[in-house]
Amino acid sequence: MLDGIFTGLSTAVMPFNLMMVVVGCFAGTFIGMLPGLGPISAVALMIPITYGLDPSSGIILMAGVYYGAVFGGSTSSILINAPGCASTVVTSFDGYPMAQQKQAGKALALAAYSSFTGGTIGAIILLFAAPALASVSLSFQSSDYFALMILGLTAVAAFSGKGQVIKALIMTVFGLMIATVGTDTTSGTPRFTFGNIDLIDGISFLLLAMATFALTEVVMTVLKGQHKEEDEQMDMASLGSMKLSRDEVKHVAPTVGRSSVFGFLVGVLPGAGATIASFLAYGLERNLASAKEKLKFGKGALRGLAAPESANNAASTGSFVPLLTLGIPGSGTTAIMLGALIAYGIQPGPRLFIDNPDVFWSVIISMYFGNLVLLILNLPLIPYISRLLVIPRPILIPLILFFSITGVYLVSFNTFDIQMMVIITVIAILLKLLEFPMAPMLLGFILGGIMENNLARALVISDGSLEFLWQRPLTLGIVVTAIVVLCIPPLLELLARKRGKNTADERGPEVAVSEGEG
Amino acid sequence: MNICKDHIGGLIFLLLSVAYGYYAGQIPLLPGDEYEPFHAQTLPNVLSLMGGVLAIALLLTAERGEGSHLKLRGYDFALVAKLLVLVVLFALALEWVGFLLATIIFLIGGYWLLGERSVKTLLLASVPFAVGIWAILTQLLDIYLAPGALFSQILGG
Repeated sequence: MLDGIFTGLSTAVMPFNLMMVVVGCFAGTFIGMLPGLGPISAVALMIPITYGLDPSSGIILMAGVYYGAVFGGSTSSILINAPGCASTVVTSFDGYPMAQQKQAGKALALAAYSSFTGGTIGAIILLFAAPALASVSLSFQSSDYFALMILGLTAVAAFSGKGQVIKALIMTVFGLMIATVGTDTTSGTPRFTFGNIDLIDGISFLLLAMATFALTEVVMTVLKGQHKEEDEQMDMASLGSMKLSRDEVKHVAPTVGRSSVFGFLVGVLPGAGATIASFLAYGLERNLASAKEKLKFGKGALRGLAAPESANNAASTGSFVPLLTLGIPGSGTTAIMLGALIAYGIQPGPRLFIDNPDVFWSVIISMYFGNLVLLILNLPLIPYISRLLVIPRPILIPLILFFSITGVYLVSFNTFDIQMMVIITVIAILLKLLEFPMAPMLLGFILGGIMENNLARALVISDGSLEFLWQRPLTLGIVVTAIVVLCIPPLLELLARKRGKNTADERGPEVAVSEGEG
Repeated sequence: MNICKDHIGGLIFLLLSVAYGYYAGQIPLLPGDEYEPFHAQTLPNVLSLMGGVLAIALLLTAERGEGSHLKLRGYDFALVAKLLVLVVLFALALEWVGFLLATIIFLIGGYWLLGERSVKTLLLASVPFAVGIWAILTQLLDIYLAPGALFSQILGG
């Protein structure tokens, strides 16, 4: 493993890759601070740029953008009570009250320190957990892979919030359907192309990701009329001191430690990302607090700010574990990274650890660098970055539109792709208005091709019988887990209903999550 | 009967699954494929079935109550439609007048639609930006951008 760490270190400290981390963190922070655009949009906007880079540089850039966007989201949560993404909604519960009490500087600093600690603890656990899991998963066969993908897809649906499970499952199936458009890889026959030459290659991942997460998100802000809103002026003079006293550090240290480990574990679960981790960590911390402190939550409690911040960063790191070791993304953002890796011809999964150790390790190492960059560069620069937000919306929105369109066009040089993006955007807007989640669709789309190949192989080996699902104990185990994961949310709902209405008024994390995602 | 969001969504996906299943049956198979355990139609058939079952499940479990109805008030659909038409025009312009002019037109159009009216801002925020991007792409990164078909027809290419 020491070998690997050195490989990763030597790749990650290459000046170009270091620059990618810095650039990624900055770009991510900026995009993350724009209300409405979260980490998924930020990472999607980066895909075309990474196409011109080495795989490791590309994925390092994306990881930097991911972190930066989460951090940028918490900044706008604290300063103007406008969370840039769902995972920082909780940050505003206690962060914004602090800013109102002229303690914005302290809140920002605490958020940065907690994020840093969360990310660091996450990175260290990842350093040990990922290779261990990768070596186990080396013994996987195609039936296991098929079962794993089923688990990944059902988990995303299961964690999507109350009353959303069926919708998320439908979107997953929809994504799988989109993946079947184009030439069938096993037989070479065209499917669902309707005689259109431009569809023979299928719909490109880049196009779908850009249309659903960059174009649609931007258009949604216009649809809601947010482009007319003037940003609340951030009063830099009232930032206050950025220093924390020793007592305050002592006060939040246990919280940060707890929430980091907890956040990492939640992030590892396929499907549960930073958003759920931050809500759960906040709830946990509130339950642990003494009765007197409980009252402070929501009014600017330090612990209430530190818990979600460390948890969401640790969870971002944790979601790389299933991506790097099993090839199954733990969140929408890592799903996009998975797509980008596949576009490079790299198959994430257990073989990644052996075939491309440089990619594997440099991502882990540069994650740590990313946290460092956020702490020492972004924090002092926040007042200046936030000034960029003064660019009026009517100018900013067409520019983002332009970048997302040309990002797709400059890869294919086919104007049909632009028309296709418009069609997908219209469909995505309709689905968003009907409250369908988008991430499961992208996940289904990305995993669709690989899943079909593995299913085909497993079925041919077992001569058409479905026995492969229960013949190997490993496959059986994964399948059972998938079924259990799928059955938990409806069961919980039933239990809650039986328990009566006395718990109904308490806002459970799932409710809040589905609100935040909406 | 009240129609809520879940009903609309469920109906759409039910129709989609049926149409998908119909076209899945049209996928040409290789000779002898029908005896194979897995062929080009297998997964589409399964997906169409799953989609149908899930859509019906959504229709049956649809949540009724406050906030479950589709509300379209307060959304600026006209502006979004104009923006999307602008994107389509941008695609056409890319083919006919080339990257540079198309970009300038798109940006000015976008700023205009979103309410920017000052001519100075419109030009300052679009022309230098478009020229800059064009210069980076063609001069720095050596990417070939086809000149518009209009110019090659007039000037001969």
